[in-house]
Amino acid sequence: MKGKKAILMAAACLVLTSCQGKPKEEDKSSIRIGISLYRGEDTFINNIRGELEEKAKEYEQSRGIKVTLDIQDAKGSQNVQNDQVERFISLGCDVVCINPVDRMDASLMIDRAMTAGVPVVFFNRQPVEEDMNRWDQLYYVGVDAKETAVLQGWIVVDLYRKDPRALDINGDGVVSYVLLEGESSHQDSLIRTEWSIQTLKDGGVPIEKITGGIANWERSQASALMEQWLDAWPDTIELVVSNNDDMALGAIDALERAGIRDVNVVGIDGTIPGTEALEAGKLLGTVSANKEVYAGAIMELAASCALGQELPDSYPLTDGAYYWVLQEIMTFKEN
Amino acid sequence: MIGRRGKALILAYVAFLTVLFLMCSTDLIIREPEREVYQIAVIIEDVRDDNYVNFRKGIEQAAMEFHGDVQFITLYKRLDGDQQIELMSREQQDGAHALIIIPADEERVVSALAQGQVSVPVVLLGSGQAGEGAAGTIAPDHKAMGERLAREMAVRMDEGCQAVIFEETGRKSAMDRLFLEGAKDVFDQEGIRWMTVRAESTGPALSEAVLALGSRGREEGRTMILAQSTELLTEIAGIFGENHGLFGAGASGKTREYGPGQAGSLEGAPSSHGGVGGLYGRGSTLGVLNYLDQGLITGICVTDQFSLGYRSVEMAIQALEAGGGHRRLKLDSYYIEKEDLRRPEYEMLLYPVE
Repeated sequence: MKGKKAILMAAACLVLTSCQGKPKEEDKSSIRIGISLYRGEDTFINNIRGELEEKAKEYEQSRGIKVTLDIQDAKGSQNVQNDQVERFISLGCDVVCINPVDRMDASLMIDRAMTAGVPVVFFNRQPVEEDMNRWDQLYYVGVDAKETAVLQGWIVVDLYRKDPRALDINGDGVVSYVLLEGESSHQDSLIRTEWSIQTLKDGGVPIEKITGGIANWERSQASALMEQWLDAWPDTIELVVSNNDDMALGAIDALERAGIRDVNVVGIDGTIPGTEALEAGKLLGTVSANKEVYAGAIMELAASCALGQELPDSYPLTDGAYYWVLQEIMTFKEN
Repeated sequence: MIGRRGKALILAYVAFLTVLFLMCSTDLIIREPEREVYQIAVIIEDVRDDNYVNFRKGIEQAAMEFHGDVQFITLYKRLDGDQQIELMSREQQDGAHALIIIPADEERVVSALAQGQVSVPVVLLGSGQAGEGAAGTIAPDHKAMGERLAREMAVRMDEGCQAVIFEETGRKSAMDRLFLEGAKDVFDQEGIRWMTVRAESTGPALSEAVLALGSRGREEGRTMILAQSTELLTEIAGIFGENHGLFGAGASGKTREYGPGQAGSLEGAPSSHGGVGGLYGRGSTLGVLNYLDQGLITGICVTDQFSLGYRSVEMAIQALEAGGGHRRLKLDSYYIEKEDLRRPEYEMLLYPVE
């Protein structure tokens, strides 16, 4: 009898012990997310930052979980960003979201996060595949650069097919264009440039490149370049193809200063100033990723990681790590 | 072959290296003083922190220097006093050691502090009240700021020119009241006609009111605008930017009608040049500075936002470490026009480098 009692007691203890355990991650009532931006002045990144703050508030209100965002600007320095990630981890962030300064140099940040067991959501600048494959708690949210470029190319192709003279201003049968490129180390620059121009060729637009230059995504640098080109090739430029909206706006600034109104300019990103330029008829078109979806994906992924929950079905991942945000064309004529 | 003496020397050398290692790399011999990291929550009155760039730089700098872990919190709805009080309680419950508050509703915050609803030190920023329940307050002299702006406007006003004060709906704090009191006092002393237009900081009613002023004809008189808040100032300058010719130049045209409750009446304005002759206000956000540079804003009163952020964290940590009574710090304010933007002393203040 005593033996049976002992067995029952032991079984009860076992059941009770198994019920206690570590509290479930879902029971967390607050999460802390560290976010490091490659350069806060970048208009697109600044827009995403704003959306992220909104999404964090929405998450807080809808789920009743307090979300603390620590947002830091790396100001274009990988060393600063490494320190920021280090600090986020020391401060007990549950997850870190990184917009890498140098996509080829993410390994140190990944090492630190892996050691501390803190998941990482990269965004906007895709780390190299080797790095992404190092751990199953690394994710990436971004747009497909090739798709972006093809869509940008189609803005021009569409216009040319509808009205060739709108692009070929001097009527010489050739559309003379200049190209404004982002950083040379950014994979999106290379892909956007290559596929945008390829799409123009494939679409039957007779193009001739006058010149091109790297303006590092910046409006002021693009404006300076464009000013030089307008001096060097007066009355020649008919189209400006820009890797992003900020540089496109820089080109528009230079065109306005020179009193030129008929040159077509295309951008990418659909930033707020870009959209305003579109509405004002200064920008022919841009390619926009839905920033709400973009920030929503980062927020949902980060929160799921922080809470140790399954990733939401509404954000399906490619290869278990990549979420590609859909993009759309925005043109002046549609508005 | 190493002799006994040699072995002893090697052993002594190894022992010396071990002691050196222990001294340098561990806490065993020389203990590093443990420094507590204070959690400080900063709760502003706005939904976004776009207007707080320099302020945040100051906060981050102080957080690094004084080992603070600062969390910057915005409201779900602008100027929502109830939510701000809730957030103050929440942050205290979540372990914040101190709070830094830019009040959405100054009276409510001060009353909550007086009732002892918050037990951690609170630093009130920009408050026009004494805020005795707070550990400290940092604010400029709002009344003097209003007086200064009004004097600068008065100097540039022609005879018959009218001052139009744009007040933001929902702003009812002592700091705003004092600012406007200062301005109105000067207008009264100088015999300047003034009127008030109340509007949301953004939206069609504001646009209509501004456009109506901008398109007033000669017979209706020229006006100078004083914006109560940075948000209104930015928005009004933006409206002028989009509607060239309304600002500065003596535009002519009929006054537009806008419904009652949307904005004040502009009837009875004296005749002068027409259009808006100047836009004045306070704040030093990047947007405001850009508009000042573009000539869409005539003059602004600014405080050193970097110092405000830095001092607030410093004051919070002092209150935590040293305790003591209420601390009060008065910030200087400066009047700035376009040509002052490039002056080195103001460049440092307006565009601080971290």
